[in-house]
Amino acid sequence: MFEGMFQPEAIVEAFHMVLSLKVLYWLVVGVVIGVGVGAMPGLTAATGVAIMVPLTFTMNTASALGLLIGLYKGAVYGGSISAISFSTPGTPEAAATVYDGYKLMQQGKGRKAILMALYASITGDTLSDLITIGVAPALALIALKFGPTERFWLVVLACTLLGTLSGAHPAKGMFSAALGIFLATIGTDPVGLVQRMTFGIWWLADGINLIPLMIGIFAISGMVEGAVELLRERGITKKAKESISAALLRGGPGLTFREYIRAWKEMLIGLFVGSFAGMLPGLGATVGAFLSYSVAKQVFPKKKIGTGVLEGVAAAESGNNATVGPTLIPLLAFGIPGSSTAALIGGALMIQGATPSPRMFELYPAVVYSLFMILLAGNVVNLGVGRVLGGLYSRLGRLPREILIPLIFMMAIIGSYSYQGNKYDVVVMLAFGLIGYGMRAVRIPDAPLVITFLITPMMEANLRRALLINRGDWLEALFHSPLAIGLCIACFALSFLAIRLEVSKRLSMAK
Amino acid sequence: MESKNEKRKSQWLRSNQGIGVIMTVMFTGLFIYIQLTPWAHRRLRDKFTLGFFPTLAVALMIFFSLILIFDSRRREIPPRLEKLTVSGFLSAVLAVVVSWGYFAFMSEIGFLIATPAFLLLAMYALGLKPWRHVIIVALLLTVIVYAIFALMGIELPLGKLSGMIPF
Repeated sequence: MFEGMFQPEAIVEAFHMVLSLKVLYWLVVGVVIGVGVGAMPGLTAATGVAIMVPLTFTMNTASALGLLIGLYKGAVYGGSISAISFSTPGTPEAAATVYDGYKLMQQGKGRKAILMALYASITGDTLSDLITIGVAPALALIALKFGPTERFWLVVLACTLLGTLSGAHPAKGMFSAALGIFLATIGTDPVGLVQRMTFGIWWLADGINLIPLMIGIFAISGMVEGAVELLRERGITKKAKESISAALLRGGPGLTFREYIRAWKEMLIGLFVGSFAGMLPGLGATVGAFLSYSVAKQVFPKKKIGTGVLEGVAAAESGNNATVGPTLIPLLAFGIPGSSTAALIGGALMIQGATPSPRMFELYPAVVYSLFMILLAGNVVNLGVGRVLGGLYSRLGRLPREILIPLIFMMAIIGSYSYQGNKYDVVVMLAFGLIGYGMRAVRIPDAPLVITFLITPMMEANLRRALLINRGDWLEALFHSPLAIGLCIACFALSFLAIRLEVSKRLSMAK
Repeated sequence: MESKNEKRKSQWLRSNQGIGVIMTVMFTGLFIYIQLTPWAHRRLRDKFTLGFFPTLAVALMIFFSLILIFDSRRREIPPRLEKLTVSGFLSAVLAVVVSWGYFAFMSEIGFLIATPAFLLLAMYALGLKPWRHVIIVALLLTVIVYAIFALMGIELPLGKLSGMIPF
């Protein structure tokens, strides 16, 4: 079995795919855009990746992965720049960096803090990528032993975890997951190819397209919210900008090697906590950063994390970047994305014809290996871009939202249209922008919706395959092996525990 | 007294319980609609009912909406919803409608004319001033985005300018 998974010729092919100037070019472009996206408050890694996904359909697989993974890595680090420079996290993932980062800025050690954020991000990211490279193939081997029943329960387990752990209220998270399942059933059913849930609208016969849905939910909803806020609080925004200009005038000394090494324990905490948070569907980078930060604070009380020390920045930044690689583990091993951005990368792989599934390593080994190589190369590029352009990015945070919001609207519209040249994709994208805005307002998390939307066809196909194998016997189809029973029990036990212990509320309070 | 009652009613509508009630009503309607459609009960060759997954999903949505009505956090009001005003909601709808208008306009007259007009209007409406800056930024962004897409090999609709632009 392992011989089938480890294919030296696929590694050679992956080297050929990755080692080209074109891929390097898109990787650099991805990181440059990503750090900028991260540095601009209001834009997240998911927004940036969602906008870029439709543009990748003209590229080859390695270039597309280079652009998106570079953007993802860059954005997760970039959030720290504005968090440190003017106490406004560029992305939610960088919110924990504000506590120590901004205090360091006020002490005149802003440059030191930004460099620590960069090095801790790269350290956490690189080591977690190595964990990803080690763990994903091993899990994929296990996944191959699963039959349709076990795969069905695995998807149900992922939906349960996503629902109960995302957001502040488990019922809202679960509602979002159920909505994702419902939306995925619109169109043609995956086995019998019969139309359903089209409401008599002919262009829904092919179902809702993933790309416009993701752009609507991740990019447009945030921009609609931003536009509404801007119209309401124009005066307040101006005041904030003035304080930003003042903060940016401060520079300060750089980071010494000794200072970097002194934070190794915090970075290690960030690495393990972040990797765990990344692997588990529903947690993500924000939880990873806050958990690492609070663990480091509790384990090392003498270091006075929270009072403006470099170790606090290291724990938070290592924690959020350490989720980037591991969030792809469930996607590569089981075909289940671990986060919204992983779902977007999954969507990009689908555009390239490499649909994520438990047989990913068997069917597209060269794609998987090239993804691993790009993950590692992305860190080198991120380090270079962060080191050279750090100062420039801290000014990007000042880019007025009055320019940013219309620009994102325009990019989202032409991105979702140019993907297939279908005007109904724009309708779907705008509709989901409004739905996403409503979900934000009532605090329903969006990640469970998008991820369950992506994995529902797999869930349905596996259940129906199990039913076919067991000649329509539901009991046999659902519980024919001890593993299937175990996974089913895990679904109920985990959701019971998550609700009973109010895990989502605690995680949201920690944020 | 009446305005106090109205305020209380509006506060209740914004609470988890209010949201739960609205969602329960909406999705119960959807559930009934699915049950009334003939395809939902159609049995396929694998003995699977076509409406099984849509029905299951909607039933789950109703169940979780009901939880919002009855659980211990039913009186919580989501902070963003608390701040949301009617004019705020209308602005959100307007933003989406204007965006659709931009797209329709772009399909007819082309990206290079529709985009600066859209950016100009949107940036000015959001408060960017003075006009001179708005015009420069709108034109600059249009040219940059067009150039990026052209470099990537993605064709943008040119409308009436079709054939006049060499790339």
